[in-house]
Amino acid sequence: MRLTLQALISHGRVARKMGLGPESRINMLRNILTGLVRHERIETTQARADEVRFYAEKLVDYAKKGDTDEKAMKMANFWLTEKDLIPKLFKVLAPRFENQSNGYTRMARLPNRQNLDRAKMAVLEYKGNPFPPLYPVKKENELSLINQLLKGYREERAQQLADKA
Amino acid sequence: KPLPTFQPSHLSLSLSTLTDLIGSAVIRWRGDMFSFVSPCAAPALAVTGPGLLPQPDQEDGLEEQPPGLFDGFLWMAAPKKRRTIEVNRTRRRADSKLLKVKNNIEPCPECGHLKQKHILCGFCYAKVCKETSMIRQQIKAAEGGPLRAPTVETVVLYEGETPSEQDKDKRIVERSRKRPAWFS
Repeated sequence: MRLTLQALISHGRVARKMGLGPESRINMLRNILTGLVRHERIETTQARADEVRFYAEKLVDYAKKGDTDEKAMKMANFWLTEKDLIPKLFKVLAPRFENQSNGYTRMARLPNRQNLDRAKMAVLEYKGNPFPPLYPVKKENELSLINQLLKGYREERAQQLADKA
Repeated sequence: KPLPTFQPSHLSLSLSTLTDLIGSAVIRWRGDMFSFVSPCAAPALAVTGPGLLPQPDQEDGLEEQPPGLFDGFLWMAAPKKRRTIEVNRTRRRADSKLLKVKNNIEPCPECGHLKQKHILCGFCYAKVCKETSMIRQQIKAAEGGPLRAPTVETVVLYEGETPSEQDKDKRIVERSRKRPAWFS
């Protein structure tokens, strides 16, 4: 028999509360999403980045339907407050991701903000943006000792197989 | 010489002596008044002395109780005994109050600054931030005003680079420096 009210306990509730209420949360996420579509890489708190990620990917899914689709245009019109980004969404972001089905965004955690609040920060970006990568691409150096030794070993093996045949 | 002690015991009037003095009159004591009733007279006349007449709403006496245990300021929580230094030490040095040791700190393979394993290196990210802000300044100069996002992709070219086959439809942003080693 339940002795306490369900409303007073929040065990297992995964939905985040942000801002002044659900409407304020949507407005805040809409602003962040507009900034993301404009700049393609933004830095916010980790919770906000995590929430916007879902909406960013859903927006690209809607954009893939094409700008003649009524629902897609309504969604883009609602979510992008700066209306010069609607053509960018349909003509730049949708073709960029036409071969992928999910995972259009990348979120990485940053060191905590240096303010008094020490908030957890994250950087959120659309993949394929023109900026320098967050994770440095590891380039194999052909001239390092191990690579030279392995190259020599591969050549010797190739030569032995050629001699046998 | 011992002083003559005053012994008031034989001067006090006991009830028995009072009855002897007044005779056979019956003395009744009811509350705060005396009433003399003589047994000789047939219709007994009870003469009551001046006293407080009974009030119909004299119920304050019944309800007047000393202040309850939960009223007033005298009932408040207070420590009974001084906390000993041993008790204080166990509380102050409890496991939840000690500083936790982090074992997920490692040096960044690129720059050598310390970073946490699941968090980007602060130095490398600051480097990337500076370069992106320079690129964004060039973009702002190219756009020339607010709300003029282009409908084509953007590509960044450094000194001495020409647009390749994939870059022919894109907007070109030029940076007047050598390509950094960490930007492929």
